[in-house]
Amino acid sequence: MTAYLASLATLAAIFAILAVTLNFMVGYAGIFSVAHAVFFGLGAYAGAQVALHLVPDALAACAVAALIAGGLSLCLALPALRVRGEYFVAASLGLQMMALTLFSEAKGLTGGLGGLIGIPPPRLFGFAVGALPLSLAALALILLAIAAMARGSFGRTLQSIRDAESAAEALGKNVAVAKALAVAFACAGAGVAGALFALHMQFVNVESFTLEQSVLVMAMVIVGGTGTLLGPVVGAVLLLSLPAGLAFLPFIPPTEVGAVQQIIYGLAMTLLMIFRPAGLVGDLSRGRSEA
Amino acid sequence: MTAIRFGRRGLLGSALAAPFIGRASAQGGDPYVVGTLFPLSGPNAEYGGVFTAGAQLALEHIEQDRMLKRPVRLQAEDTQALPQQAVVGMNKLVNVDRANWTLVGFTAVSKAVAPIGDRAKVIMVNGGAVGPDLSGLSPYFWNVIPLAHLETRALLPYLVGQRGAKRIALVYVDDPLGDAILGILRDELPKAGGQLVGSFSVPRTAQQFGPVAARVRQVRPDAVYIASFGAQQSQIIKGLRDNGVSQLLCSYSAMNLDSVRSLPEANGLIFTGQKVDFEGGDAITRRFAADFRKANGKEPTIYNVNYYNATRLFGLLGQQVEAEGGQLGGDSLRAALLKTRKFPLVGGTGEFDDAGNMMAAIEVNELRDGRLNRLAG
Repeated sequence: MTAYLASLATLAAIFAILAVTLNFMVGYAGIFSVAHAVFFGLGAYAGAQVALHLVPDALAACAVAALIAGGLSLCLALPALRVRGEYFVAASLGLQMMALTLFSEAKGLTGGLGGLIGIPPPRLFGFAVGALPLSLAALALILLAIAAMARGSFGRTLQSIRDAESAAEALGKNVAVAKALAVAFACAGAGVAGALFALHMQFVNVESFTLEQSVLVMAMVIVGGTGTLLGPVVGAVLLLSLPAGLAFLPFIPPTEVGAVQQIIYGLAMTLLMIFRPAGLVGDLSRGRSEA
Repeated sequence: MTAIRFGRRGLLGSALAAPFIGRASAQGGDPYVVGTLFPLSGPNAEYGGVFTAGAQLALEHIEQDRMLKRPVRLQAEDTQALPQQAVVGMNKLVNVDRANWTLVGFTAVSKAVAPIGDRAKVIMVNGGAVGPDLSGLSPYFWNVIPLAHLETRALLPYLVGQRGAKRIALVYVDDPLGDAILGILRDELPKAGGQLVGSFSVPRTAQQFGPVAARVRQVRPDAVYIASFGAQQSQIIKGLRDNGVSQLLCSYSAMNLDSVRSLPEANGLIFTGQKVDFEGGDAITRRFAADFRKANGKEPTIYNVNYYNATRLFGLLGQQVEAEGGQLGGDSLRAALLKTRKFPLVGGTGEFDDAGNMMAAIEVNELRDGRLNRLAG
């Protein structure tokens, strides 16, 4: 049971990294992206290649993954951020579709649809370490960084852009640079999550980086509470542990287990949004319909 | 308001308590556990139902025949055919349910769970995915379905020798399955007296095949081999026929789908498959077919057969290990497999190689007016 819970906690920590980094874009900077899984994937492939061909060191894998995911996001963000709001959502959707095709076709780097197998388990400075402590440490560091930035001038700049972009620009804020840096930080964090995912799973393929995965991460942010520090962590833990918990219900026949689980899962999500529209950690006064 | 608060707390409490509901029952008895990692929800859920039906019938027969000293419990985990969900399910089967035997399907799921089963020394048996890269994933990962490249090899003598189709063009999906079939055709076709005159890869998500058909026509083949799977297969057949490719079409067992059988353009299609004679076969095969029809009210498919065999194999190996006074674990079951090698299964004797791949007799079928006619094998 302990090993199972540790595996589940590792996935929850990895997805919490994804959710808090996406929340940094959505909740603090007001940049709605449905392509977070792309940078998760870039990090996973980069981390896997480092572990397979260079050294199975978690630190090296995470560093390379963050550089590649963050760097590429910067290249893509600069032109894409010229559009705002729902237009950026559409642009990110296009990026998600394009990246998925590239992941499938770039066989030399990604293994194509077959994926990369035989990724060695993580090590740190030559010593074998579990993926769970690594993931928790990475999550804690990223949360600290976000908390520090949110309290600083950069965080206030982002929040002013989120609330009134034109007003922020009129006050002399460099909107393009601030948004690009926010995207680069968030995507570098997603890259770290990807590298940890590859080392934990020891197998990656394109099916883990689809639009559905991006939507799931967005749901984690919304369920937990956008614009809050710990909300996305709560959302990630809940959305991953709920289906896992439902797998223990003993009275469901084997052929119906999936359907019943999905119905209960969907119902719980709907009820949650009815009673906590601003998310579990969000401000109760936000999100409720005024009608 | 109090009631709403209670409801929320109740919901949260139920979610937190859920992991412990099954735990008590899992520890209460001591049956052997056969775990399944099938898609039971999502777009591939139909496969999960088909796979499970075969395994359930085998468990009934194991119990009826009193093959094992302890009862066997089926523990189903929903993977949605996705690797991440499969890893969660496999971890639960291995660490919580203490599964003695697991059944898997789908290539990505198989690859994702193989390292976990390997570390825990739990046998994983695939009866659905045919990607050649599934061979040798782990000493504890076995296949009871002939992998696609073995079927392709078996088709060539018939194609060249009996149908006189020497110039073959290949339309293949751009993945390990397609790559492996391309390799087989390149290497084996000249030995059989044929020639690969063109190979055209298509992305997994492609739905339009007009340009591919034009290029196929240019190389003037005698036959076109299609290496794809799922819904794309019927789209390729229709795309080729609609765009003037009138030559013989051939493929492997994945074509045995209702969507292909009901397609008028697929008339005359030749494809290979496992040889199973439900009417005139041995007693095990006839019993399987009769009981399957009785339980499900329809004809069994090859996937039902494969997962029946995958589960029956557990009964046969477990019986052997129990008779020798051993415990049913990955090592003892593997040792029993390598010692015996040949097992009476549905469809005939199944023989396993060192890597745990089952060799099975292959037949060549022709699809004519929605029905299959055996041509060779």
